[in-house]
Amino acid sequence: MVVKVKDLVKRYRDILALDHLSFSINEGEVFGLLGPNGSGKTTAINCILSLLKYDRGEIWIFGQPMRPDAYDIKRNIGIVMQNIAVYNELTAYQNIDYFCGLYVKDKNQRKKLVNEAIEFVGLGEFTKFYPRKLSGGLLRRLNIACGIAHKPKLIILDEPTVAVDPQSRNKILEGILELNKQGATIIYTSHYMDEVEQICSRILIIDKGREIATGTKDELKAMISLGEKITVESYSITEKQISAIKKLPGITSVDYKNNALIIKSGKGTNNLETVLDFIRKENIHFGRIYSEMPTLNDVFLEITGKELRD
Amino acid sequence: MFIHIFTYRLKCLLRDYEGIFWTMLFPLILATLFNMGFSNLNSAEMFNPINIAVVNNESYRQNQSFKQTLEKVSTGDDRLFNLSVVSREEADEMLKDNHIDGYIIAEQPIKLVVSRSGIKQNIIKSFIDNYMHTFSAISNILEKDPGKLQSLINDIESKVKYSKEVSVTNAEPDNVLIYFYTLIAMACFYGGFLGMGEVSDVQANIKPVAARINTAPVHKLKTFFYSSAASIIIHLTEMLILLAYLVFALKIDFGTKTSYVLLTTFIGSIAGFSFGAFISAIVKKYEGFKVAVIVSVTMLCCFLAGMMYQDMKYIVATKVPILSYLNPVNLLTDAFYALYYYDTLTRFFTNIVILTGFIIVFCSGTYLIIRRQKYASL
Repeated sequence: MVVKVKDLVKRYRDILALDHLSFSINEGEVFGLLGPNGSGKTTAINCILSLLKYDRGEIWIFGQPMRPDAYDIKRNIGIVMQNIAVYNELTAYQNIDYFCGLYVKDKNQRKKLVNEAIEFVGLGEFTKFYPRKLSGGLLRRLNIACGIAHKPKLIILDEPTVAVDPQSRNKILEGILELNKQGATIIYTSHYMDEVEQICSRILIIDKGREIATGTKDELKAMISLGEKITVESYSITEKQISAIKKLPGITSVDYKNNALIIKSGKGTNNLETVLDFIRKENIHFGRIYSEMPTLNDVFLEITGKELRD
Repeated sequence: MFIHIFTYRLKCLLRDYEGIFWTMLFPLILATLFNMGFSNLNSAEMFNPINIAVVNNESYRQNQSFKQTLEKVSTGDDRLFNLSVVSREEADEMLKDNHIDGYIIAEQPIKLVVSRSGIKQNIIKSFIDNYMHTFSAISNILEKDPGKLQSLINDIESKVKYSKEVSVTNAEPDNVLIYFYTLIAMACFYGGFLGMGEVSDVQANIKPVAARINTAPVHKLKTFFYSSAASIIIHLTEMLILLAYLVFALKIDFGTKTSYVLLTTFIGSIAGFSFGAFISAIVKKYEGFKVAVIVSVTMLCCFLAGMMYQDMKYIVATKVPILSYLNPVNLLTDAFYALYYYDTLTRFFTNIVILTGFIIVFCSGTYLIIRRQKYASL
């Protein structure tokens, strides 16, 4: 086990930021910490890193209790902060070299690691650029390179794709999977459920500092009753037609708002064809019609009663 | 690890152009402006001969003793008057046009004509009164006992001073120097920006980069000390450049005790750095707020040390003397002045010892605050 968090409690005065949070992360996992903004993801990460005091609980990393002076543990951790943590007065290369140098003393080894990190994040053409000259996406990549250049066994990425263009975002996500393939265990926090679904092998959903659910994405989706969600974009559906759709076999709920008819059905049912037949028979005009399998947002919605996006 | 952190910190500091401006260029610019503004201040306090005229009438020409006395005090480099011998009409015209401060009519009694009252007019009047008293005394004595003429002349020529002026120093008092000394003290305390930066860079609750440093396998105080060494080297270099500029370009007199001047600069630089570090450690706000506190406190201390109004230093020293010892900028200014003005080092060392006490307090306070390894919030 790489990380074990047990019964973690953190208060900010009257606000309970972490409410008896427990989880463990196995070697080789890409562990996703998913939750809306303010759910306690970053607080949990900061506690794991011994940056934050906590009121109660225990944290072990690599089988040893984590402390601020546990330098042997820290040597094997790479951290990519939510905020860009680089020096504006140093070039991209110098920034990576500086932070790598806090972990690796040997100059030749460090040079090799720095060059590998530059190649890994695709900053080869920008090594002499100062951070203020880099775009948001390139800056994020530099931030990542500074955190992973020393080849850590455990990499913690706290919302690394915030305010990043799609190209850089894909590059970052591919890079994370590559790091995992190379043997690193990853903790990935995000409020973007599609990213978490895309790269995480196991996911912990938290809200208000509490564990909502843990498991693989399939296990999480299996926890809820929703099987299929059909959306029909139309502005001419009557109340009578809605009532008729509700009576179709397997349909669990029908909701019509903002010219979108959302039809949900239970597990094991496929109602797209039935719904299409009904629409044709009733001669309902529609723009688009599409079917979706449950997402992590649906899991969050069903468990907490609110949207993850909120 | 020391070399790694130290060299990268040096690079950061040398590329921080805003920091370089405030800690080095700004004091240099201010010193230049001070020099331009104060260059005439000492000369303004020097005595300039008073322009007077004497009416060239028959009485003046016949009054040889007055004529000789007046001519005597109107010649030489240290003359009292710039004398013009003119007609009454010319004298009136010159007075009207402000070419002279007054004119004398050497009648019996001697008359002084002025257009207004003032120091110069008082000096002319005092000179005439003094002459008339002496002349009158001599006339009286001669009338009563002409035999005592020689001893009277000897007495007048050998005036005995019953008090003696003893200077505590060989140096000339120079009011302008205080302004430059407070400027150096200010520059020393602007080193506080560097101290502030070093503390912020290891406080995870202030800067993201500090959070990264706190997660690295290096004790954050080690990182702090190694980086601080670079900051202090940079600030000392800046201070030496300022000192060299003042001495060689602006010709500011620091006296002859060069090694002590360098020691004072070194201690001032450390005091400024540790002051900024301490402020940064105790003020739990964002960096802009910390900068505002450092600038405000430094400028207040400079004001009380006489930077904006020279007499303030003496007002504080006489009205609230304890404040003179609690103001580190004043201690630094006073240390420089003591080196320039006094022959002994007692006052200098008093200032340096108290300043060192301040450094110990600032450093201890900073250490106690930043040594904690976890934060309540980030």
